[in-house]
Amino acid sequence: MATKQAQKGGQIDLGQLPVPQLQELKTQLDRELEHLTTSFQSLRTAQSKFRDCINSISQGVNPGTADKPLLVPLTSSLYVPGRLTSSTHVLIDIGTGFFVEKTVEDATDFYNRKVKDLQDSLKDLEGVINGKANNVRMVEEVIRVKVLSAQEQSQKEGAGS
Amino acid sequence: MSDVQKKLQALSDAYQALQGELSGAVEARQKLESQQQENTTVKKEFDLLADDANIYKQIGPVLLKQDKTEAVMSVSARLDFINKEIARIEKQIKDVQDKSEKVKMDIIQIQSAAQQAQEAAA
Repeated sequence: MATKQAQKGGQIDLGQLPVPQLQELKTQLDRELEHLTTSFQSLRTAQSKFRDCINSISQGVNPGTADKPLLVPLTSSLYVPGRLTSSTHVLIDIGTGFFVEKTVEDATDFYNRKVKDLQDSLKDLEGVINGKANNVRMVEEVIRVKVLSAQEQSQKEGAGS
Repeated sequence: MSDVQKKLQALSDAYQALQGELSGAVEARQKLESQQQENTTVKKEFDLLADDANIYKQIGPVLLKQDKTEAVMSVSARLDFINKEIARIEKQIKDVQDKSEKVKMDIIQIQSAAQQAQEAAA
C-alpha cells in the first residue's frame, strides 16, 4: 500500500523514502515491467501467427492451387495426400469455439484487421512499458544517490574520529 | 502485554486471510475480463457478417452448423453473464478491500496505543 502511494506521489516522495523501501518499490516495478514485457512478447507472437495465416491463404488457397494435390499433416511426421474442396472459401476460428466460412478475400481482410488491432495494442503497451522503465530508472537513480551520500557520511565520520 | 500481542496476532492473521481472498478475487476478475474481451471480438465479427453466412459451433471434436441469430444470441447471453459476474466480483473486491482497510486501521490503533503505553511507562 505504502509503495502505491509513493508511486502516486511521484518524484517528491521518492527522495524522502528510506533505501529499503525504495528497494522494495524497485522490485515491485521490476515485476510489473517483466509482466508487461511478457505480454508484449505474446502479442508479438500472436501477430506473427496471424501474418502466417495471411501468407498461407495467399500461397495455398488460390485458383492456381485448386487442382494440385497437397499433403495433409496428420501428425508432425505423417502425411496423407489430399485435395482442396474449395479454393475460394476457408473456415476461420473467430474465437470461443465459433467457426465462420469466409471467402479468401474476406479471410485476408479479417486477418489484416487482427494484425492491425494487435499493432494498436502493441503501440499502447510500448508506451506503458517505456513509462515503467523510466520509473525504474528514476528509482534506481535515487537509490544510487542515497547510497553514495550515506557512504560519504560514514567516511566523514570515520575521518573525524 | 501478551493479551495485546494475541489480539495483534489475530488481527494480522485476519489481514493475511483477507489479502489472500483479495488476490483470488482479482485473479478471477482478470480471467473474466479476458473472456469478455474474446466474446466481444466474436460479437463484433458477427456484426460484420452477412445474415446467411455459414457459422459453425465447435462442440468437442465436431463442428455443428448454427444459425446466425442463434449464434449471436448465445454470444450475447454469454456476454451478459460475464458482465454480471464482473459486477459481482467487483463488489466482492470492494467488500474485501473495505474489510482489510478496517483491520489495518485496528492494527495501527493497537500498535500506537501500545507504543503510548510504553512511552508512559518509560
